[in-house]
Formats: sequence, C-alpha cells, structure tokens
Amino acid sequence: MLEFDGLVKAYGDNQVLKGVSFSVAPGQMFGFCGSNGAGKTTSMRIAMGLARADAGEVRWSGRPVDEAVRRRIGYMPEERGLYPKMKVGEQLTYFARLHGMDAGPAARAAETWAERLGLGERRGDRVEKLSLGNQQRVQLAAALVSEPEVLILDEPFSGLDPVGVDSLAEALLEQCRRGVPVVFSSHQLDLVERLCDAVGILARGSIVASGTVPELRSTTAGRQLRVVAPDAPGGWAQAVPGVRVVSEQRGDTVLELAPGTDDQQVLAAALATGRVTHFAWREPTLVELFRDAVTTPQEVAA
Amino acid sequence: MTATADRDVRSTGPAHSDVTPHSPGQLVRLVAGREVNTRIRDKGFLAGSAFLILLIVGMLVFQVLINSGEDTTRLGVIGGDATVSDALRSQGEALGTEVEVVEFDDEAAASTAVEDGDVEGALLSPSGAQPELLVESDGGQVETLVQGAVQELSLTQQLADADVTLQAPPEVEVVALDPDAEADFEAIIVALMGVAVLYGLLLLFGQFVAQGVVEEKSSRVVELLLATMRPWQLLAGKIIGLGVLALGQMLVIAVIGVAGALAFDLVTLPGDLIGTVLTVLAWFVLGYAFYAALFAAAASLVSRQEDLGSVITPATLLPVIGIVIAIQAAQDPTGTLAVVTSYVPGISPMVMPLRQAAGAAEWWEVALAVVLMLVAIAAIVRIGGRVYAGALLRTGGRVKLREALASEKA
Repeated sequence: MLEFDGLVKAYGDNQVLKGVSFSVAPGQMFGFCGSNGAGKTTSMRIAMGLARADAGEVRWSGRPVDEAVRRRIGYMPEERGLYPKMKVGEQLTYFARLHGMDAGPAARAAETWAERLGLGERRGDRVEKLSLGNQQRVQLAAALVSEPEVLILDEPFSGLDPVGVDSLAEALLEQCRRGVPVVFSSHQLDLVERLCDAVGILARGSIVASGTVPELRSTTAGRQLRVVAPDAPGGWAQAVPGVRVVSEQRGDTVLELAPGTDDQQVLAAALATGRVTHFAWREPTLVELFRDAVTTPQEVAA
Repeated sequence: MTATADRDVRSTGPAHSDVTPHSPGQLVRLVAGREVNTRIRDKGFLAGSAFLILLIVGMLVFQVLINSGEDTTRLGVIGGDATVSDALRSQGEALGTEVEVVEFDDEAAASTAVEDGDVEGALLSPSGAQPELLVESDGGQVETLVQGAVQELSLTQQLADADVTLQAPPEVEVVALDPDAEADFEAIIVALMGVAVLYGLLLLFGQFVAQGVVEEKSSRVVELLLATMRPWQLLAGKIIGLGVLALGQMLVIAVIGVAGALAFDLVTLPGDLIGTVLTVLAWFVLGYAFYAALFAAAASLVSRQEDLGSVITPATLLPVIGIVIAIQAAQDPTGTLAVVTSYVPGISPMVMPLRQAAGAAEWWEVALAVVLMLVAIAAIVRIGGRVYAGALLRTGGRVKLREALASEKA
C-alpha cells in the first residue's frame, strides 16, 4: 500500500497542502486531479524527497519512503528533465543503474524499454534531436526502465498526441497488472475516468473527494433521475415521498431522490400519468463531479 | 478513504532479481563514470587536449632549437698552417663558437665558397703583413674572431723574433658562492611552466564543473537525479569524475615535458626537474578540489548557461591574481609578496611551487600552506555543498546566496 498521510506544506504564508491523505493499493491506478496550483505537484515532490513536508509522511508497504525506497520508485517530474546531449540508450542505461541495476541488466532493460515505447531506432540519437513527443517517451522509459515497484507520474499525458496517449495508457495498465501502484496527475478527466480505479480530487490543499468513480457518483449530490412523461400534469412527482424536483418543463422532469428512495416507485408514479418515453439515471461525468467537488466549500467524504 | 480496484489487486509489489541497493560510494562512482564517459567523447575536449599537448611539444622543440643556436662557424683559410687553425679555434672557444677550418688553394675558390654561404668568411695570408678577410657583406662575429686570432699570431711571432720566452700565466681559481644558482633558476622556470599549465587546467576544468552543474539544472534532469541520490553524492561524483580527467591531462603533459627535457638534455639536474613536477602535480590536486567546489556552488545559483558568467567571474578572479603573483614570484621568490601569498588558500597552489623550486621554502612552511589549503577545502566543500543542495531545485532566475543556505534540502 502506498500511503500519503496528512501532508502539510507551506511556502511562506502560502499554505499549499493542509493535510493531504490518500492511499493506493498495489495494482491500482490512482488519478490525481485538481485545479492548477491545488498542490498535486508539491505532494508528488514530497514523496520523491524533492520537497520537505512540514508535517505528515509518505509510506510504502508501511515503511516511510526514504532514499532506499525512492530508488524503487519510477518518477516522472512535471518539468521534464533529461540530459540533452546524451544518447537515448545510454541515458536509459544510466537511469537504470542509478536505480540500482547492474551494468548488464541495465543495458538490456534500456534496450527493451526503448523498443517497447517505439524508440528502438532512436537509441543512438541524442535526446535533443528528438521531437517533443519522443522526448516524452524517453522520459517515461526513464521512469519505467528500472522495473520500479511504484510509479509516480506528474502529468504524464500532457503534450502527447492521441496515439501517444494510447500507448502510454497501455504501458501504465501493464504496470498495474504487474502489481505496481500507479499515481498520476492529469487535467484530462475523461482519461482519468477511463483508466483509473480510484480518483482523488485535490482542492485548496486537501483531498475533497476520493474513491472509485462509481463511489464518487453515488456519494456526490448531483445524481439525478430524468423522467420524460409527455402527458403528465405539472407537479406529478411531488407526491412521491423522498423526491425533489430539480426542473420540470412540459413533461420533462429532472428529479433528485433522497437516500433510500426507491426509483421504481417513481417509475410507477410516472406510468400512472400515462406514457413514459424516457426514464434513466443521469450519471454525472467526472468533469461534473470535479467541478462540484472543487467549487463546493464543504468537504465531501468518500 | 481507499477504494478497491476493479481488477486483481495483489498485496505485495513485484519482485526484482536484478536490483541490489547501491551504497553511497557506488552512486558517486556512477556519476563520476558518466562525467568521464561524456567528456572523453566530447570533440571540444579532445581538441583542447590535443592543442595542449602540441603546445608542450612545440615548446620542447623550440628549446632544442634555441640551445643548438651556438653551433659551428666555418672559416676558409688560404695558405695557413696548423698554428693558424689553432689560433682560430682558441679564439672561437673564447667567443662561444666552434670553429671549423676549411683550406682553400686560391682566392677564387675561397670567394666562391663565401658567396655560396659555404663558409662564413675566408682569411687570406694570415701570417703575412697584410692579412685579408673575405666576407659576403658584413664581418660581424667572424671579424672579431679573425682579428683576435691574427693579433695572437702576430704577437707570438714578434715575441719569438725578440727571443722572449713567457712563463705560463697563473690559472684563475673559480669559487662559486651559490653553486646551485643555475639549477635553481632552471627549477624556477620548470615550476613557472608547471604553474601556468596548472592555472590553465584549473580554470578549464572549473568551467567544466560549472557548466555541468548548470546543464543539469537548466535541463531539469536534476529532479530525476535527486530522486535517487543526495546532492553531495551528485556533487562529489561530478568533481571526482572531472578531476580524474584533469589529473590525467596534467600527468600526460608532465610525462611528455619531463621525457622530452631528459631526451633532449635540456636540464642539468634531472632529479630536481622531476621533484618540481611532482610538487606542481600535488598542488594541482589541492587547487582543483578547492576551485571545483567553489565553481560548483557558484554555478548552482543560476539556471541558464547565459547567466553563468555573472557568478563565475568573481570566482575566477582568485586564480588570475594567483598567476600574476606567481610570475612576480618567479623573479623574486624570497620577496614579501611571494612569502605571504604562498600561504593564502586558493593562491598558494600557484605561488608555493615557485618558492619550493627556488629552494626558498622550509618544509614547515610548505606543510603550513598545505594545512591551510586543506582547511579551506573542507570549509568550501561544506558551505559550497550547502549552497549547492539548497539552490539545486530552485529554478528560474538567480538564487540569492542567503536563500540557498537557508533552504537546504532534507
């Protein structure tokens, strides 16, 4: 289990993190969302020892993350960083070695990963000669080359074309299948929704929502039922207990149900008015959940 | 707060057979290895090294040519005998040139030889009443030489005619007040050349260290590096890696210089030469440690190569002062300036070798200068290391020295 536990960090008067906590199980993909400046990068940098937390700690397998543990973490910083004048293959080998591999296995791993991320022919080229997309791939390969136990990736998808996004997504899912917990931050919420088992939404320095996407949906106010009954008289749904009418327009009603309310009762009431042409839960998208979580001032428990 | 994943979740991470944790020393070695590998294939570095070696070889060849300048003087003689040749040779010896006498049968042959440059001059009827010297345009040294020889011959002749026998003149006894003076002078020249190379390589490799630090900062690769190691390991690896190259280059130059000097017989005391070279090498190691740490700390304050000059220039001032004093000290190794500055850390690597070569430094003076230098290195590695660690992750703009010291990484 990778645990971020109560991280607090202030830069001067600016309280960046006010107790960020979440955990990621082995094999789980965790999407880390939040507005710009919410503290995602700071949280990840604390995990990598690049910033010091004022309070709280990050643990892996119950053990505080220290130098030795960090060498088992694959990391991709927000600001991409590679030696511009070093060749791709040598660079990957070097990073594999820094993470504790011996020369032979490191060279083999570098070759394998360059091949897998479509950089096979560019192994002998200097990084500065590659396109930005390819540099991004090298960066990812640098994070993966040592076969890490944990992956922490800051905005890995930014700047990639759709094909690049797909191959990166595939690579990350494969790591999850190996049993690696993967944490990545992203603004592309559709992608997070598609890939992640769990999502954490960071706003104003703390996690305002976290859990699986279905969990977030079920707990977030905003789960709505849309019923279209063209012949229904106005105010037909108000009679059903536990139902609040959000909007009603010529037979097209949007309802919110109190917890425990049976949606079949609502259907029955609708059918009693005549024809029902539409009856469905409107699932809020992650974008809506995100907007909701980030704008509501109170904390939403998962 | 934890969500359960949809897919199979294992309780432990994957196992790794290939991975063994590194010791701090291994990480330092890895970093140093990368520095050496990158530099040694750099075209600029190779060209610079080749140029330095060519420069040393060129200086040797130049020395050989200068020394061979006092060669032989060929003189033509018509109608002379052995006494004439002897007189010419002994005059040549006094004037520092070896005289080679060529006999000619007549004046025509002699003047052809002079015109062809085959001989530098031709002496006609040396023992006659009116000796004549044929030269191409101007008598010069040959005139002096011939004049002396003719005078001597004439004097001997007149004394013999007057039947005077001279007693052998007394031999002058030579008492050397400072028999080592010439050897000392030679050692100072060697030391000065060594210090000049030391100065050049210190600045060159200091610059390499500074550029390397800024390269890692500007490309942000430093974030990835510091996720696996501590700042001091990165710094130590960089300084040691480049230091090995610097010392290697210094050694190559030293070996070529010493071997050349011995082969061409340019020095009188080979033992002194080797001793001086070893002294310079030892001071180079101390000076490099000092300046590499200083340059690295200064460079860590900026994030772009363009800004490097503004922080490096103040640090460059010290070795420049050092070399200026060293040149002065070569002329006056016992002067107050040389004595005082030979203890100043950062300057001592350039001044002390000269005092040592001149034989003007006691062993305890050298020991004191070394100890002061070691203390300074320890301080600069400690403070510079803190600045480096504090400034390394702060990109964008220039970091103030105070901020860097205050924000040291955990």
